[in-house]
Amino acid sequence: MKVKQFALLVLFGSMLVPVAQAQIRHIEMRVEGMT
Amino acid sequence: MKQHLGRQSGVQTVEVSLLDGKVEVTPKEDGQIDPGQLLKATYDSGVTAAEMNMTARGKIVKDSSGSLALQVEPNRSFVLSPNELSKGLEALADTQTMVTVRGQLYKKPAGKKKADPSAPMRLLILEVQKKE
Repeated sequence: MKVKQFALLVLFGSMLVPVAQAQIRHIEMRVEGMT
Repeated sequence: MKQHLGRQSGVQTVEVSLLDGKVEVTPKEDGQIDPGQLLKATYDSGVTAAEMNMTARGKIVKDSSGSLALQVEPNRSFVLSPNELSKGLEALADTQTMVTVRGQLYKKPAGKKKADPSAPMRLLILEVQKKE
């Protein structure tokens, strides 16, 4: 049973890793001369 | 311009507001997007970028010259322009603390008609949203 719980913990942990990564979230520009 | 920016690597969506001249770019989930490339693509599509702001999450590091930088990918970091907010992050340099900040990457120089979009980008922090 404990092995199963540990496996689930590892699984959910690996799903959360990409969320915790460093990254650019959003870019906003103000532009001129757009028609 | 919307199509041109949408074709750039790492871009998920591009929203353009003609009324206020705003362009919002959402990166793909991996966040691997090159703001310099976006700026160049903007100029290539015939419009002038007046300002570029970015929200990003990363670690504060010190580069080889001792300047503070925000590292957003293993191979991509932005040197911080010194201000009060960047001073407040100095203690976090080379620690595991992740910070989420909003900052200005580019502003068209006053008085000059043409800016150089290929110049190295520095990040002027406008807001520190989270430290974790």
